[in-house]
Amino acid sequence: MLKRLTKLADRFINLSAIIGSIGLIVEVVIILIDVVGRMFDMPLVGAQDISQMSMIILVFGAMALCDKTGGHIAVDIFETSFPRWLNNSIDIFSALIGALIFALIAWAIYESSKISQMLNLATNIIYLPKAYFQWAVSAFCIITSVGMLLRGISLAVIGKEVEEEADL
Amino acid sequence: MSAALIGGIGMAALLVMLLMRVPVAFAMFVVGFGGITALNGVNSAMSLLASESFTLGSSAELVVVPLFILMGNVATATGMSRRLYDAAYAMVGSVKGGLASATIIGCGAFRLFSGFSSNHWQSVVGRDETL
Repeated sequence: MLKRLTKLADRFINLSAIIGSIGLIVEVVIILIDVVGRMFDMPLVGAQDISQMSMIILVFGAMALCDKTGGHIAVDIFETSFPRWLNNSIDIFSALIGALIFALIAWAIYESSKISQMLNLATNIIYLPKAYFQWAVSAFCIITSVGMLLRGISLAVIGKEVEEEADL
Repeated sequence: MSAALIGGIGMAALLVMLLMRVPVAFAMFVVGFGGITALNGVNSAMSLLASESFTLGSSAELVVVPLFILMGNVATATGMSRRLYDAAYAMVGSVKGGLASATIIGCGAFRLFSGFSSNHWQSVVGRDETL
C-alpha cells in the first residue's frame, strides 16, 4: 500500500518538476528576448510579469523534487556522534514537520487566492490573473507535503524510504 | 511573555533545531511562524505566510539567479573560465601568492567581458580551480 502510494506521489513529483522546468525555460527565453529587444528599442511588453510568475512556477514546482533528492540544507556536524535511533527520529520529525509546513503554505495561499479572485488581482503590466498562479503554488505545495508525509511514514514504519526497499 | 523573551526562546530553539540536523528552512520557518503567532496571533501569521511566500517566490531579485547559473555553466562548459585562469596563472603563478593573484586576475578578465562584478566570477573561476 505504502509502495503504491509512494509510486503515485513520485509521478506527481516528476510532473511538478517538469512544470517547474518549463517555468525555468520560459523565464530564460522571455528575459533573453526582452534583453535583445531592448537593444533594438523593442522591449517585450510584460516581460517582468511573465518572468516573475514563471519564477513562482519554477520555485514551487521544483520544491517536491528538491525534497525527494535530499536538497534541503541541514547542519550535520553532530550526525556521527548521535545514536542511530536519534538520527532516525530526527529524520522522521523533519519529514513530518516539512509536510505540515507545506500543507500550511498550501492552505494559506489557497485562502489568499479566494481574495485575489474576488478582487480580480493581477500583475501590473499585462494583468496576468494572480489567482491561477496561487492555485498552482497551492497544488505544488500539496504534492510536496504528501511526498514528505509518505517519506516520514515509510521512515517510521519500515525504517527507510520505500525506494530503498524496492531496490533491495 | 515579553517580546524579548519570545525572541530569546526563538533563538535558542533555532540553534537547537539546527544542531539537531533539522533542515535550515524548516527550523527558520518554525521559529518565525511560532514567534509571529506568539506576538501577533495565528491569523497574522497565516496571512503573512500566504503573502510572503508568494511575494518572495516571485521577487525580481531572484529572477536573475537562474540566468547567473546558466552563464556560469556556459563559462565552465566552453572552457572560458579555465583558459582565462590559465593565462593569468602563466603570468603571475610563479610569484608568491600566485594562486590567489591568478584567480583575481582571471575574475577581472571575466569582468571585462561581461560587466558583472568580480564576486560572481570569483565563484566561477574559483570553483573551476577547486575542481
